[in-house]
Amino acid sequence: MAWSAMKRRIALVPGAVPAALTGACAGIQSPLAPASDQAFALHDLLILMTAVCGLIYLLVIAGLVWSVLRARQHAKRAAAAPVDDSALDRSLIASAVIIVTGLTVLIFGSFLADRALLAARAEKAMMVRVTGHQWWWRIEYRNPATGRWVETANELHLPLGRTTRVELASNDVIHSFWVPNVSGKIDMIPGRRNMLDLTPRRSGWFRGACAEFCGAQHAHMALDVRVDDPVAFDAWLAGQAEAARKAQGPGEALFGLHCGSCHAVRGTPANGRAGPDLTHFAARRSIAAGTLPMTRGALQGWIAQPQALKPGTAMPAVPLRPAEADAVASYLAALR
Amino acid sequence: MLIVLALAGCSQEARRLVPGPPQTAPNGNADPRIPAYQENLYQISQGGRYFAWYGCSACHGEDAAGPANLADGDWRHGGGFANVFAVIGERHAGQDYAARTPVEQRWQLTAYVRDLSRHHAEKRRRIMLDQKAEPQGSAWLGPQ
Repeated sequence: MAWSAMKRRIALVPGAVPAALTGACAGIQSPLAPASDQAFALHDLLILMTAVCGLIYLLVIAGLVWSVLRARQHAKRAAAAPVDDSALDRSLIASAVIIVTGLTVLIFGSFLADRALLAARAEKAMMVRVTGHQWWWRIEYRNPATGRWVETANELHLPLGRTTRVELASNDVIHSFWVPNVSGKIDMIPGRRNMLDLTPRRSGWFRGACAEFCGAQHAHMALDVRVDDPVAFDAWLAGQAEAARKAQGPGEALFGLHCGSCHAVRGTPANGRAGPDLTHFAARRSIAAGTLPMTRGALQGWIAQPQALKPGTAMPAVPLRPAEADAVASYLAALR
Repeated sequence: MLIVLALAGCSQEARRLVPGPPQTAPNGNADPRIPAYQENLYQISQGGRYFAWYGCSACHGEDAAGPANLADGDWRHGGGFANVFAVIGERHAGQDYAARTPVEQRWQLTAYVRDLSRHHAEKRRRIMLDQKAEPQGSAWLGPQ
């Protein structure tokens, strides 16, 4: 019985591999499941490139097989027959035509994709500033009510169907912004501002990641991306623009004393800019740029020992007594 | 000669990623943990960064005179690592740096302050320029 079960399991393996591969295509971090105009343009280019290069690859392999078989037949015949170059000429011309045609198609496809990526440039777009830090993302929106910049971190919200112009910069080393479902990747270079236009066409959660090695915790530099319909987006932005609600308990004072030099919570004395803005911290999905999920346990662990969870992070272990750490965690968990 | 000099600098900034940085004050001026901070340029430059972020340069700036001048090698309460560490946390009335700064940052600040007498004016200016683009308080408007 055990043997038959094992056989069944072995029989499953060849099916499981393609299933796992195609499963990756539909994910929240995949260029094969495009969700914006720009990602569609890049996706089309990818399909065209795979088709053209695949076709030429097959032709080359077929030619190789054919010539090997033919050489064997030739070897059997007498070697004294006169050499005929006309067939060689014809095949060289044919291969040159195939290569030039393939390259022309690819250049044209790439030209069209470039045009599509730049198509939104002329439109009036909403500006968002994204700044890379070791190892998190500072995200700033312009508050439509006051025109002032509103800061958040590690979670990018985009309105469905509207063009957003993302201005990318870096505060320390070269990072790279890449949300495969929504955008192509573009580097964030210290001293430069790069632009990227995004016009999402499908709502939902997506995942972005830093795509340029940027130090020890490069792998823990992820970005949650939420595409919402414009009404929900406007409501979210209005909520983000507000200051934090007045908190009960000792957490706020403790946070201001121990954490306020680096973190800001608008509406309280905590006004540090070195670390992420935590004004609406608990409304986010994850902690420390996608390192941990937003749960009470993860939050408490992160406050107690950030260096054990993300060695090298700029956040130090702050010496707090257990009751104080608990009060700070309660305070943060209520910042919605 | 140049190659030898360059190689000698290789490990000066080596940064060890360990889960347990110091969480207690130094145990006397001969604490075995001190060299990892005092002789490491990465830790010293982190200290310089926090020196600016916590506003130390408001009183201990380049032109500070008397006891506030930290670069003259003259220490009122002793120049040992543990002495300076204790002064940062305990002898700034009204600032309570012992509560405001995490222990590891005070180790880095101490290493930086004790290294200041070796910082010549150009080096200090260069560090200041480097840090100008870093996020410090509400005046910061994004990277330069």
